[in-house]
Formats: sequence, structure tokens, C-alpha cells
Amino acid sequence: MIQLGTSTRGALSRERDVREAYAAHSGELYGFAVRSLGDSGLAEEAVQETFVRAWRAGDRFDPKIGSLRTWLFAILRNVVIDLGRARSVRPGVAEGGIEPSVEPLDEALLAWQVEEAMRRLGEDHRRVLVETYYRGRPYAEVAEELGVPEGTVKSRVYYGLRALRVVLEEMGYED
Amino acid sequence: MKTRNECREWRELLGAHALGRLEGDERAGLEAHLEGCADCSEELAGLAPVAKMLPHADPARFELAPEPPPELGRRIAATIEGEKQRARQRRRRTFGGFAFGGAAAAAVAAVLLLFVFGGSSPDASQPVEFTNLPEGINIYATLEPHAYGTEIHMYVHGVPSGTLCRVWLRGPRGVSYPAGTFRYRWGDDSDAVLSSALDISRTRAVVVDTGKHTFVAPVGKAPVAAVTQTEEEPT
Repeated sequence: MIQLGTSTRGALSRERDVREAYAAHSGELYGFAVRSLGDSGLAEEAVQETFVRAWRAGDRFDPKIGSLRTWLFAILRNVVIDLGRARSVRPGVAEGGIEPSVEPLDEALLAWQVEEAMRRLGEDHRRVLVETYYRGRPYAEVAEELGVPEGTVKSRVYYGLRALRVVLEEMGYED
Repeated sequence: MKTRNECREWRELLGAHALGRLEGDERAGLEAHLEGCADCSEELAGLAPVAKMLPHADPARFELAPEPPPELGRRIAATIEGEKQRARQRRRRTFGGFAFGGAAAAAVAAVLLLFVFGGSSPDASQPVEFTNLPEGINIYATLEPHAYGTEIHMYVHGVPSGTLCRVWLRGPRGVSYPAGTFRYRWGDDSDAVLSSALDISRTRAVVVDTGKHTFVAPVGKAPVAAVTQTEEEPT
């Protein structure tokens, strides 16, 4: 789990703490917001609303319950639901909206986590996973292209998966 | 008795096996090894959840890491600063009006805010009229332009105490931007102060959803006599 070293109860009640939290987590939050909302303008809106809500409720943050990152993601998740609801309901159009399902949001969160973890992998590991798993290419072909033995490609797949697991754990993913 | 090297050789095939890409003799050999090796079996079990997650990702996004625009941090800081200013003003009003010193400090702070964030004068605030409301319900709103977007002062009266009110600003293409939520409490005559990143010049309507109804009031060049729509709550 990623924790801010100085996190204490009420950690976001001061502006300086908001700035620190923004510097530490805005990239991830924005990345997830773009991934789930599919719109950079709405994603900016979502991240802004997340930090403002976090600041308003700063006194309620308790690092004993969870990390600041987890807390911010929980707020963002609610904001994204609100934005998704607003977008699908389009208040004022009077057509009667459909309550957005939570499933697609969880799916987007899962997808974003894997994509972010893949971005954090070393190039060698990411490349063999992309070529052999996502592009479905034979190991021998990839090995020839990379100029390494086929066994090396297989071992990179193994160590790549292990590294991915570590990165996901660092990001707070729990299976 | 397995040696460390023997385990290592098989272990490096676990990734391909977890992804279902091991075939023939290699696969048969690894499976035989796994039957007698608890450590390698445990390692495989540890890789399985990661392998199951892979199909959810889109590899086209691996290279792209969207970054928030540089001004977003400043907008958030300005929004929070604005809320703090308003909270201070409310406290001053609560504790006996404006002493000269307090008023002077507020004026200096306002000038500083205008200087730093390029805000507009309070005169630019814009009242919004909600008309044709059900009997007993009153809704008023005032919009104020800011560098970060629009500040909305909402006053709702006449709905059941505890009603959750959701507010949106509607933009030029009919897209609604959430401005926040508040609860109406019986006996509380204060206004709710909300904010949105949508610029006031692009705001075409204010939308308030009280759960039972959705009320829409036009903003800007709309005629004074514009009719407020009363819409049933979406189900």
C-alpha cells in the first residue's frame, strides 16, 4: 500500500497537505478519471471535486483505516459515479435516466490498475508480455526478434508477471 | 529430492504456464514437477490472480500516461481558498458584524485574491430565477464568476427537511456539470455555497434535483419570463 509518510488524522485539513497529496496522487487519480470517464474535461472536473471534497472532510481522514491514496480513490469513485449519473441522466432533458451500474466503474478501475502497473514495469518485461500475451505471438518468433533464446523470453514472462504482482500490491490492489 | 537449480528451471516456465501458453513435453514435465513441489505450486497460485487480470487491460494504453494539466492544481487551490474566505466571512458575520479591522482585512484579502487568481468583482454576480415552482417551494440561486469557474449560492426552502439537493450547471451543448450536493434542513436559512469548473459565460442553466422534482432555471441571455421546467425525477 502506498502511504504518505507524514499522514496523520486530519491530514488534509491544511492547504499544504492538499498540495502534497495533489503532488503525490493527482497523476494516478487523473489517469483513472480519464480511463473511466473517457473525457479529459470531465476527468479534470472529477479530480478537482475529489480534492475539494477531501479537503472539506479532511478531519475525518484516519490513516489507521486506510491510506490517503485509498481514501482519495474512494472519493474519486463517488465523484465519477455522480458525474456518470449526471451524464446519463442529463437532468433537464426529462427522459428518465438509468442509474449507472457500478460494474463498468469497477471494470474501469481494474483495467486502469493493470495498465498503470504495466507502465511501471521494466521495458524488457513489458515487451515480452505485450508481444506474447496481448499480440499472441509465438515465443520462438519473439525470441528471434529480440535476439535472445526462447527460454529467456519465457523466463521474462515469469519475472514480468512477478514484477506486475509486486507493482499491483504497491498500488494497493488486493485479490 | 529436488535441487534448487531444478526448481529454478521449472519455475521460469510458470509464467507461460499461468498464461496457458505452455505445450507438449514442457507442459507435461512442469505439471509432473508441480505435483511433487509445494513451493512451485504455491508460486503458480500466486501468479494466477495477476494472469487473470491481464485480459482487462488495453495494451494500446500502456504507453499513454495522461497527465493532469498544470493549471488544475492552481484551480483546486483557488477553489479551496475561496471556500476558506467565505467561511471566514460567515464567522465574522456570526460574531457581531464587521469591525473596521476585519472589514479592512477582508478588503485586502479580496484584492489579493483578485490579483492572484484574476477573479471578478462581486458586482458580476448574477441572480437566477426559478419560476413556476410548486406551491410552498422557493428556490433562489446566485452565480459568481471566478478564475476557477463559477460559484453557486443556492437557497432552497419548502422541501422536506433532510432532502438531498443535487445541483448542476448546464453548458452550451446541454452537457450538465455537477456543482455539488447539499441537504435542506428545516429552520436553516443559510445558502449553500457550491462551485463548478464550468465558466459562467458558458453556463446556460442551473439545475436542481430535489429527488421528487428537477427544477431548471435559465441563465444569461434567456428572457426574464423564461419558464422553469419542472421535471420528474429520473428513475
